Amino acid sequence: MLSRKKWLLLPLILLMVALVVPMQGHTRSAKAQDTFKVAVVMPSASNDLAFSQSMIDALTAIDEEMGDGFEFVFQENTFVVDDAAIALREWAASGEYSLIIAHGSQYGAILEELAPEFPDVSFAWGTDVDTFGYDNVYAYEAGSDQGGFVNGVLAALLTNSNVIGVVGPIEVGDAKLYVDGFKAGVAWVNPEIAVNVNYIQSFSDVALASEAAQAHIANGADVMTGSAQMVVGAVGVAKETGNVLWFGQQSNQTELAPEIVVANQVYHWEVVLKEIIAQVQAGTLGGTSYKLTLENGGLVIEYNEAYALSAFDKFVADAVIQGIIDGTITYTLE
Amino acid sequence: MPENLLPTGHRRIEQMRMQGIVKKFPGVLAVDHVDFDVKAGEIHALLGENGAGKSTLMKILYGLYHPEEGHIYLNDQSVVIRSPNHAIQHGIGMIHQHFMLVPSLTVAENVALGLKSSRGLILDLEVVSKRIRELSEIYGLQVNPNSPIWQLAVGEQQRVEILRALYRGAALLILDEPTAVLTPQEVDDLFRILNQMTADGHALIFISHKLHEVLAISHRITVLRDGKRVYSIPAESATKEMLAQMMVGRPVVLRYDLPPIEPGPALLRLEGVCATSDRGDEGLKNVSLNVHAGEIVGVAGVSGNGQRELAQVIAGMRSITAGKIWLNNDDVTSHSPAAMNQHGLSHIPEARMTDGVIKNFTVAENFVLQNHGRKPYAWGGLFMNFRSITRQCKTAIKDYEIKTPSHETPIKSLSGGNIQKLVLARELSRQPRVLIAAQPTRGVDIGASEYIHHRLLEERTKGTAILLISEDLDEILALSDRIVVMYEGAIVGAVKRDAADVRTLGLMMAGSKVTV
Amino acid sequence: MITDILKASVAASAIRLATPYIFASLGETFGQRSGVLNLGVDGIMLLGAFAAYYAVFETGNLLLGVLAALIVGMLLGLAMAFISVTLQAEQGISGIGLYLFGLGLSELLFQKTVVTPTPIDGFPRVNLPILTDLPVLGEIFFHHNLLVYVAFALVPISAFVLNRTTFGLQIRAVGQNPEAADAMGISVARVRYMTVTLGGGFAGLAGASLSIALLNIFQSNLTSGQGFIAVALVYFGAWRPYWVMGGALLFSTVNALQLQVKTIENALGINVPSEFAVMAPYVVTIITLIFASKRVEQPTALTKPFERGES
Repeated sequence: MLSRKKWLLLPLILLMVALVVPMQGHTRSAKAQDTFKVAVVMPSASNDLAFSQSMIDALTAIDEEMGDGFEFVFQENTFVVDDAAIALREWAASGEYSLIIAHGSQYGAILEELAPEFPDVSFAWGTDVDTFGYDNVYAYEAGSDQGGFVNGVLAALLTNSNVIGVVGPIEVGDAKLYVDGFKAGVAWVNPEIAVNVNYIQSFSDVALASEAAQAHIANGADVMTGSAQMVVGAVGVAKETGNVLWFGQQSNQTELAPEIVVANQVYHWEVVLKEIIAQVQAGTLGGTSYKLTLENGGLVIEYNEAYALSAFDKFVADAVIQGIIDGTITYTLE
Repeated sequence: MPENLLPTGHRRIEQMRMQGIVKKFPGVLAVDHVDFDVKAGEIHALLGENGAGKSTLMKILYGLYHPEEGHIYLNDQSVVIRSPNHAIQHGIGMIHQHFMLVPSLTVAENVALGLKSSRGLILDLEVVSKRIRELSEIYGLQVNPNSPIWQLAVGEQQRVEILRALYRGAALLILDEPTAVLTPQEVDDLFRILNQMTADGHALIFISHKLHEVLAISHRITVLRDGKRVYSIPAESATKEMLAQMMVGRPVVLRYDLPPIEPGPALLRLEGVCATSDRGDEGLKNVSLNVHAGEIVGVAGVSGNGQRELAQVIAGMRSITAGKIWLNNDDVTSHSPAAMNQHGLSHIPEARMTDGVIKNFTVAENFVLQNHGRKPYAWGGLFMNFRSITRQCKTAIKDYEIKTPSHETPIKSLSGGNIQKLVLARELSRQPRVLIAAQPTRGVDIGASEYIHHRLLEERTKGTAILLISEDLDEILALSDRIVVMYEGAIVGAVKRDAADVRTLGLMMAGSKVTV
Repeated sequence: MITDILKASVAASAIRLATPYIFASLGETFGQRSGVLNLGVDGIMLLGAFAAYYAVFETGNLLLGVLAALIVGMLLGLAMAFISVTLQAEQGISGIGLYLFGLGLSELLFQKTVVTPTPIDGFPRVNLPILTDLPVLGEIFFHHNLLVYVAFALVPISAFVLNRTTFGLQIRAVGQNPEAADAMGISVARVRYMTVTLGGGFAGLAGASLSIALLNIFQSNLTSGQGFIAVALVYFGAWRPYWVMGGALLFSTVNALQLQVKTIENALGINVPSEFAVMAPYVVTIITLIFASKRVEQPTALTKPFERGES
């Protein structure tokens, strides 16, 4: 016989179960049992036309391809690393996700701590090459120097003033690679051309990026490029001036200024992600480092159709892309 | 000039009458059916202890509080005063005890504050300054309209307050403890101005607890006690003793006999002590001082002339930049407060609510604040002996007549006088050789003041060396064997008890070098 | 020759960069002078920036954009006044709350409406006859957009209001000694409501100057903390409009200089680590604050709620 108190407990437990079940249903959605679920944190807005958006675009592409078998959640604007740590830990502890992505090199330390704690969960992070020696961590990076080189070649062909301006964030990661590749590309065409690089030490200060662009223009630059999400300010300045060209990086920035954008190096993380997903589904949780390249299709030079690029220039650019892919063009970075 | 106008051009208030005023605060009947009145050309003094209800009554008249019952009549017309603004419109002005001036603004700006400008939204300070000069002329209130307030002496700031009230057309002026911060000379000056104002037809209400001043300046005196009106009397038929008895409700001794004692060795010695004040300037300049066993040395001076720094330096609460201090012939320069205590020093601090007690602690906890780690309050310096603490504290409550519901009551709910008695009990329980008493009776009612004075005299008889720091010249004169005067951080004069008189002390307090 | 271009470019840059700071700091000066610290400036700037951007994005009408930013800013200022004056909440914490609210809501609204950063046609640069064509000076002073001039025009206006009007006197009195102001028949609450609401409006304009005049785009966290710098500049400028403007210009000049550091290096043949250049504006600010003289104007009642009671 149960005492009266314990009888009272029963409806209470039922009530709690009733409350919890719909909450779980909400997050799980009505998809098939073997859905591959991905969770990702990113430092800036998912629509930043740059680093974070490139990941969202990739996941959306995979979602369209895999349909019901794929699902992803994301948390954006976690520029505070501690906030990212909370989200990552919750996801790992929930056991619901087949793959957890920390999209930003600043999150490395968190993964190094979380990975051994949750050995059954697969993590991926970038941009970096370090898997910390754990067999449940993938690392990915972009060989953004390749597209930077191509953009640099085109920029050198198009400049009349022989002055080119670059607006960078902080001298690390794929931004540095891109800028160094860009400089090599310019020098490959004409070492006499001045490439003024300006790292403004911020990924977010749009106003400062805009002034950096003004400074480049005042110094005679007629072609510019830049990396990271704050460059929208610089693109705006170039557009307003009217006769300054822009090369995009990370995402396709054509829509910001269709009149002046020549070409963009676009990241297609889906190339790497599909590889990682296949590995995880096959039971390998990590241990490998991947890289986006022109060769594997992870890096794509997307031309702006609205910009009248001469046939010769386009021919040279395509030839350079091919040369990098087949190894006939090599260059050294600073 | 028509009959009913003041020299300021405003209408006179022939008579103001408050009738049956009642004001309640949670748990207290602050003002209990009080009648009060004042006429043009008259100074009516309102006398009473702290908490007797005189400030509350006047705040009602000035529109800061609203009474539960009662009526106010101006020239026999019933009025309801909703706000200070409203009071000003009715010709009522108030000089607050803490001046209501903005330090960074100039005199003219302070006067213009809250007034309509003759130029609409734009300030008309030239017009205001001109009018200030006119009023200064009429009443002999010399003040420069363009000086910022923070540069003015306290007496001048008070003149600004009075000028401002006159500017706004005050026919009735409430003065709340106006002499508390003034030197005797400044008090004389104020009284001259007040007399002129009454001669011109102003009505004045003078709030004070200083009996001799009340007797000197007012025409009528009303005494409040516990929210009730006890007595109203023409000033010429009143005496100090009688007023004190009405305020306290029992006979009070106003004069003390100091039995002659042969002073012993110097227990406290300061030599060339210098220290920096909170403002960053020289707070103490080359102060040298001896206090002997069985002697009370009084330190007189206007507030803010280094008295606070002097007490703190001796208590070890403020570091010194030059000089030496000895207690009992031990060099204690730059020792901590705890070390000073061990050398036989006790200190009744000026800011008793912040330096003397911990507000949220109980009476008993505050009682053992310094000695909680020592016998008989603790075992082995670690564990508190609550039984002993309770016993000792209860004895102190009884001995020092501390009015408290129990020893476990939080100290903050006690009156100022009772808190001070507890501090005194704690400090004296250590049987000090040297006692610093800083403003021991400020904000303390007459009854408690009298008690504290007796305790200090008892200590003197026991042979304690006592340094009494007070802004109340009467207190200094009543208790001290010797008196030193501080001005701008330095000791500017010293006199024996018999040679001391208010005039010379007042001159010294104002910075004049006087040879006695 | 190169140095002339450099000077002109740095000076023009500094004036543009200073514009949002001047708007926001002047507004904050009013609030602080009356005793209210509003740390939510950055949040108000973000929502003001979005409101202006969205209005222009939808209608193309720039004045409508300015009006939208002003109204949104004043509403948020009013909310801050309600929290800090009427509810007497801790001002630091509620300011941070307002900032987070502005940060989150501007982001959410942007994602629900415009979705991706899309450039708009903002305030064009003004070409003044003769003046704009002046060598060097024309580039520095006479080739900016309208809101830049509005910001700088507000400096003498604010100084006049604070120092020469009855309202300004009330603000100063309320911030220094609210009891005295109350005793003189001034409503402390009314004055504080007015200054904080006005400050909100200015912060809204600061946001608009970014989104529809200087950058002509909106992005999440567009201000990247400029509102907090604006609050610091008020202290830096010792609560005086002209000094605040000086602080904003100093900060912006050092910022503009660090953008040119590579050019300077090339001209002088030296190498300055860029981290030092970036730290420079903050270091200069802190050093100036340390050595700033005693501040008579400091509102002593800053952050203290006022309640009439026993004095």
